[in-house]
Amino acid sequence: MNQNHRTQAGPRFRRWGIALLLTAAVCGVASAQSQPPITILINTSPWLPSFKSLVSQYEKETGNKVNLNVVPFSAMIQKSLNAVSSKTSEYDILNLNEQWYSQFYSGGLVTPIKDIDPSYTLPKQVIEYAYADRWDPKVGASTKNGEVYGFPINGNIQLLFYRKDLFAKHNLQPPKTWADVEKDAKILNDPPNVYGFVTRTSPPNYNFQAWLHSYGGTIISLDQSTGTWSVNIDNAAAHQALDEWLKLTWSYSPPNYANMGQSDEISLMASGHLAMFIVASAAESNFTNPNTSSVVGKIGAAVTPGPTADARAPTSGIWVMGIPHNLPKAKQLAAAKFLEWAMTKPAELAYAKAGGVPVRQDVYEELAKDPKYGWWMQAVADSTPYIKAQVRIKETPQILSVIDRVLGQAVIKKMTADQALKQAATEIHQIMVKGGYKMAPLSSQ
Amino acid sequence: MSETTPVTRKAKRPATTGPRGVRWLLDAGFKYWALAPALAILALLTLYPAVQLIRMSFSSVGYAGGHIAWSPVGLANFTQILGDATAMVAFRNTLVFVAITVACETLLGLALALAVSESRRLSGFYRTVLMLPVLIPPIGIGAMWLMMYDFNYGFIDKVLSALHLTPQPWLATTRLAFPSILVVDIWHWTSFLFLIILAGLESLPQDINEAAQIDGASHFQRLWHVTLPLLRPTITVAAMLRTIFAFKIFDEIYLLTNGGPGDSTQVITPYIQQVFFIQGRMGYAAALAVVTALLITIFVIVYQRVDAALSGQG
Repeated sequence: MNQNHRTQAGPRFRRWGIALLLTAAVCGVASAQSQPPITILINTSPWLPSFKSLVSQYEKETGNKVNLNVVPFSAMIQKSLNAVSSKTSEYDILNLNEQWYSQFYSGGLVTPIKDIDPSYTLPKQVIEYAYADRWDPKVGASTKNGEVYGFPINGNIQLLFYRKDLFAKHNLQPPKTWADVEKDAKILNDPPNVYGFVTRTSPPNYNFQAWLHSYGGTIISLDQSTGTWSVNIDNAAAHQALDEWLKLTWSYSPPNYANMGQSDEISLMASGHLAMFIVASAAESNFTNPNTSSVVGKIGAAVTPGPTADARAPTSGIWVMGIPHNLPKAKQLAAAKFLEWAMTKPAELAYAKAGGVPVRQDVYEELAKDPKYGWWMQAVADSTPYIKAQVRIKETPQILSVIDRVLGQAVIKKMTADQALKQAATEIHQIMVKGGYKMAPLSSQ
Repeated sequence: MSETTPVTRKAKRPATTGPRGVRWLLDAGFKYWALAPALAILALLTLYPAVQLIRMSFSSVGYAGGHIAWSPVGLANFTQILGDATAMVAFRNTLVFVAITVACETLLGLALALAVSESRRLSGFYRTVLMLPVLIPPIGIGAMWLMMYDFNYGFIDKVLSALHLTPQPWLATTRLAFPSILVVDIWHWTSFLFLIILAGLESLPQDINEAAQIDGASHFQRLWHVTLPLLRPTITVAAMLRTIFAFKIFDEIYLLTNGGPGDSTQVITPYIQQVFFIQGRMGYAAALAVVTALLITIFVIVYQRVDAALSGQG
């Protein structure tokens, strides 16, 4: 009887279920439909073509028009600040780097999503990258309790890229610890044909943070129970991290190690002259195109190493998209609808397949099984539990410029590691005191 | 004998009839009228931004609540410069950069202009070729030299390797990075000096030179005692303009070294850009810009004084 009841009720429920899903889908599309045209300010990057493809798909699905204003990376922040400082922003969406977004969140230059579309909640599968999408004005930082101010659009995190063929030839496994990196780099180092390992020194702060966080260090930290900030860059963890980073920088890199930018590292790898390095995941597209890479199919990706295999710390370097405060409501809503659509699984899947770096965990897990994307997406999926955030307060750019300067001096041996970290701690403490933060005294004071 | 009409220095125009004020406006005041539109545009485009920059340099400026908030801080931004190690290095590097590049470019520009002006054959060809670098945008120059200086794939190190010499990391050591930038700038801007000096050289009256030649002056004597003194105002203006531009170098350094390695090639304009836009410290960046403008002004005054002294007016 029950069985019969189920067999009769099953198709009926399924029909209702399908009807409801279709209604929801139609409503979803309808809510994104008939929006005024929007303009997005975005920079040139390896992931721009995939973003263009995402935009095309949105236009095709909804009939809404999206214009892209593409500028070089160096012009992004100027254009973004000019837009939010004018009476009405000429752009409806701004692409914001992890190292700048705090200026825009803290200054009220982008609008919280709940003020535009109160009913929207970010899907649980969207990775928040240690809450880079949120801002808590009470503590002046990105925290779990903050409101959503921006949508993560490019889920860049650090990965270790390595030459699978060279590792296989020498019967090596992808390194899990810094000691493994050093051991493998020593074996594979054969200059000028192949360099064992390079670090990014121009600018160095982002690269160094993989070491710093893996040793349990941070540049600054907040004790949320007391609201007190501490500067930690001169502690034992930071010293261990810098010693290790400098050792690898000096030992296995080409002679131009002191001015090694990200494009230099990628060129070395793509031309077959590098055994391994740590870079943002978006760099993967440089190794799969036979027009730009002589090592297609020979590159593997893994979670960044740490002092132990359990203490790994890929640092996020994501991009978020924010909606300027100085826009008419209709434009803000149109911008929000595009971004909400971009966070859906079908959109993210298509974006990933077009070469983008998605921001959904389910997309990484699904594509990790795909032979075309799995070689690096599996590494990202494995990295998610370890992701560490960069400094995220209003003064972030100022703090990172201090880190860049002192690390640069340490690389060229104009300062010792001890001097560099002590100097950084003193300057960062001054910056934060001036910024009005409640500060713990420096450990050296 | 022909009769001549005496000419007074100021020919009197018939006075406009009407009330005295209107007459003044239409006659003596006309020059002010005529200048007014130009002065208004000048004030709008030059004075207003300059005044705003100075005002900003005495303020703390930041974003709050979606707006730009200004609060006066007196001299704080200026006193902060003295304690800013990067700013001090940037100013020092900028002054060294300006001194070396302007001196080298002026001497080379002068030498090339003298050589081309005396060349009878292929003069047009030389002019075109020597003019090329100044026509290329600085960003293109930076990209081109970046590739040439590249340690792993660059043309210069490939040539050194072919000659069995040791390739050098041109942009990655403190010993070589700054001189490498100087070479790029000198290559780029010598043609600017060359063009101005050549134009000045070709407009010099030839009769004085010919007279000196008839009097038996040697080639070098004519150059030293006739050509160079006559050319001095042109050289001064060219060097002064180049000094102003050199203070504002941005693209080449931004592309080639971004101020590194360490801070060995940090100069002031990229630093101001970083402080203003990346760090969001607009008041402090404005103070740095004002100090830079003051330094340029000092250089311009020195040029004028030296020129006046050399021409016997000082």
